[in-house]
Amino acid sequence: MLLLVFCTLLIASTAYLLVMGTAGHPSVPIELAYHLSLLICYGALWLLLADVLKDQRATPEKAFWNVLAVGAVCFGLAFAVLYLIPGGFHEGRPLSISTILKGFLLSGLQAVFYFVLLLFFRDLVLLRRTKKSIRNWNLMLASMTLAAALGVVDSMGNTETYNPSAYWVAGLVPATLCIAVNVLSISWIVRLSFRRKMKAIGFSVLLLLFLRLVVWLGQGVELPGTQDPVGLLPVQSDYLHTYSAALSTFMLLAGVFGVVYCIAVILSLVFHLPTTSDYQRRADEMAVMHSLTDLVNQVFDLDKLASTITESPVRAGSATAAWLAIADPETGSLAPRVLATHNIEQSLVTERVDTAALFREVRLTGKRLVLDQAMRDRRVSTASGDGVASLVVIPLIARSKVLGGLFVASNVPNGFQQDDVETITVFAAQAALALENARLFEEQVERERLSQELAIARQVQGKLLPQNLPSIGGLSLAASSVPAQEVGGDYYDFVKLDDGRLAFIVADVSGKGTSAAFYMAEMQGIFQSVTHLAAQPAEFLTHANRAISVLLERNTFISVIYGLFDPARKEIALARAGHCPAAAVSASGNARFLRSRGLGLGLDSGVLFRETLEIEHVSLGQGDIFVFYTDGVVESRDESGEEYGFDRLLASICRHRHEDAHDLHDAVLRDLDQFLGGNRQYGDDLTIVVFKWHGHGQSSPDKDRVIT
Amino acid sequence: MGNFSVGFNLRDTVQVLSLKGELDAHTASELEAAIQKCKDDGQYRIIVNGANLHYISSAGLGVFMAFIEEVRNEGGDIKIAALQPKVFNVFDLLGFPLLFNIVDTEDEAIHLFEKQN
Repeated sequence: MLLLVFCTLLIASTAYLLVMGTAGHPSVPIELAYHLSLLICYGALWLLLADVLKDQRATPEKAFWNVLAVGAVCFGLAFAVLYLIPGGFHEGRPLSISTILKGFLLSGLQAVFYFVLLLFFRDLVLLRRTKKSIRNWNLMLASMTLAAALGVVDSMGNTETYNPSAYWVAGLVPATLCIAVNVLSISWIVRLSFRRKMKAIGFSVLLLLFLRLVVWLGQGVELPGTQDPVGLLPVQSDYLHTYSAALSTFMLLAGVFGVVYCIAVILSLVFHLPTTSDYQRRADEMAVMHSLTDLVNQVFDLDKLASTITESPVRAGSATAAWLAIADPETGSLAPRVLATHNIEQSLVTERVDTAALFREVRLTGKRLVLDQAMRDRRVSTASGDGVASLVVIPLIARSKVLGGLFVASNVPNGFQQDDVETITVFAAQAALALENARLFEEQVERERLSQELAIARQVQGKLLPQNLPSIGGLSLAASSVPAQEVGGDYYDFVKLDDGRLAFIVADVSGKGTSAAFYMAEMQGIFQSVTHLAAQPAEFLTHANRAISVLLERNTFISVIYGLFDPARKEIALARAGHCPAAAVSASGNARFLRSRGLGLGLDSGVLFRETLEIEHVSLGQGDIFVFYTDGVVESRDESGEEYGFDRLLASICRHRHEDAHDLHDAVLRDLDQFLGGNRQYGDDLTIVVFKWHGHGQSSPDKDRVIT
Repeated sequence: MGNFSVGFNLRDTVQVLSLKGELDAHTASELEAAIQKCKDDGQYRIIVNGANLHYISSAGLGVFMAFIEEVRNEGGDIKIAALQPKVFNVFDLLGFPLLFNIVDTEDEAIHLFEKQN
């Protein structure tokens, strides 16, 4: 489309020139139309070229080179055209048709060259694209176009000789100003390496010379062997001016911009050469810092992170060795552990440098410590060959907590400039964050691992409780145990002895959670083994107390109810070692707690326990119910803080005394839940075991079950 | 729930610890610290006044067990006074009255210490 517009208007304007060039002065509207079509024509050319060069993200030196190359080609072609096609002017008027063709070709080549120049320079000027820089650039193009348009007005009716007028000057002023502003956009220079700066200088000097040459030729220097003044950039050259005054003005301005920009670039390149290495070093430091910042999000392995952190300051340049010391987060100990070293032996650090004392200081002040003459400090006892001649210690602070210190050493005294220290300080802030994140991550992993382990522990503990309740003629049983946390300290169990008697136990280890669970497991072992050897309550509990007392911590004890049920004699022998008293309810509704005397296990390992222990013998009547439970039942509280208590428990059992063990168990738990209302989360481990004696000859329901 | 505090009151040669609130697994460490402080001060004659103690759990009872042997070895004792009935019941169920002097009033406990002298 653009190409079509370009070609059509080009041919039309050429035709116009061919016709009018020889015919004489056209009327004003026609001339205006001619200039307008030329403007659109070259506008189309500009857009075409812009489109072609759109994806050319050339480096600065490449941009100069490309402009030079295009310039050389255009110049060469223009030169050829100039000499190969005959034709000339006489008093500002073309002599022949070939002159017009010549003018058209020369103008076209120039336009291509200057457009390419502007397009490549645009990429340089707009390397840092901001609203402002883009606005400035567009303003420049606009003002150049305006100046060109004013040039048209100027040229009209003044074709005899070229004579600048006020219009033309008025158009030039804003254009010049805009050029001056855009010429200052050369910040890309500082980022180039030394080598690339030299290259850029070379190319821009060449380009400047080329432009100068073009301008020089354009000013009408007579080349040997020709009669005509020639001009590839004919500022006052007749070819272009005749062809289009507007275009000639625009190209003049583009040329000026090119020259001035080249000069600015060359000068600032030369001035920036000496600071290149500084800039390069700073850029390297930034790169290292960026890589560390990336690590913050990537590395959760503490060791790997630590070695990266110690590597970074050395890689950034100023330091020759570094090490990282971390205070133990568990103990909060002031003596930090050297986690990683770089370029220095860990043994050397621990032997020759009092890392702990240095860390203490930065920990207290929260500020970095710079030792320019490290070996003069009493905390550093390195020799001159050890590589610690100056030392910077930076506290690693994350979430206002000092995690540790980054120690950065140089092998020369005064090895760190102020800006080095600043850079390392920024490192350290990043490093601290990374370390803290890694630590939190590890904690999270640990937490997840623990919760998995606890889930396993819960399974294991579940298996310590009876999977099936024993079946005894005339007796129905139901039992359940719910730990408040993953694992708990409640325990109940049954052992059916060879002679048909049934030993049973309900126990509650003081405290909750994991430690209680271990003791619960111990209790299971004792019950399962000792019962077979000493089934009588007094014997069993004395043995159990002796065995468990050596294991228990001083502040831990276990309350136990142990019973021996003899179906033949229809009797239960019961002992209460500090445990909640069993509830006994008869079929007639006679309800009481069996509160015999007895110390909890682990409170006294000697004679007191044995001497104070009372055994209660209870004869069973048909329909008698015994409920054993842990304090989690009676101490459960509703939302107002009211405890369930012994009385409610007894009343509930009484109410449901006609149910069998299973239904009674469920009913008691339901009553408890009802009392608790929404507060279903039990505060303590909660265990209930229900016995119901149906009497011989009665079917003992098969419904016995365990709820865990 | 548990807000718990220990008040210190030296009566003659006896250190009285007045407990207030609920003594459970979470607050047991505060009583531990209090008794530890008595020990550090060389004060082994201790009365625990439970007039304002509303609740005690097994972990709370454990604190008494943790220290009693050591305190008695030093010629002192921990006596427990003025417990509310419900709290006393917890002590009683476990058999604490067999191990500790548990009396109705602080004065009674003081009196017991005096008799020991």
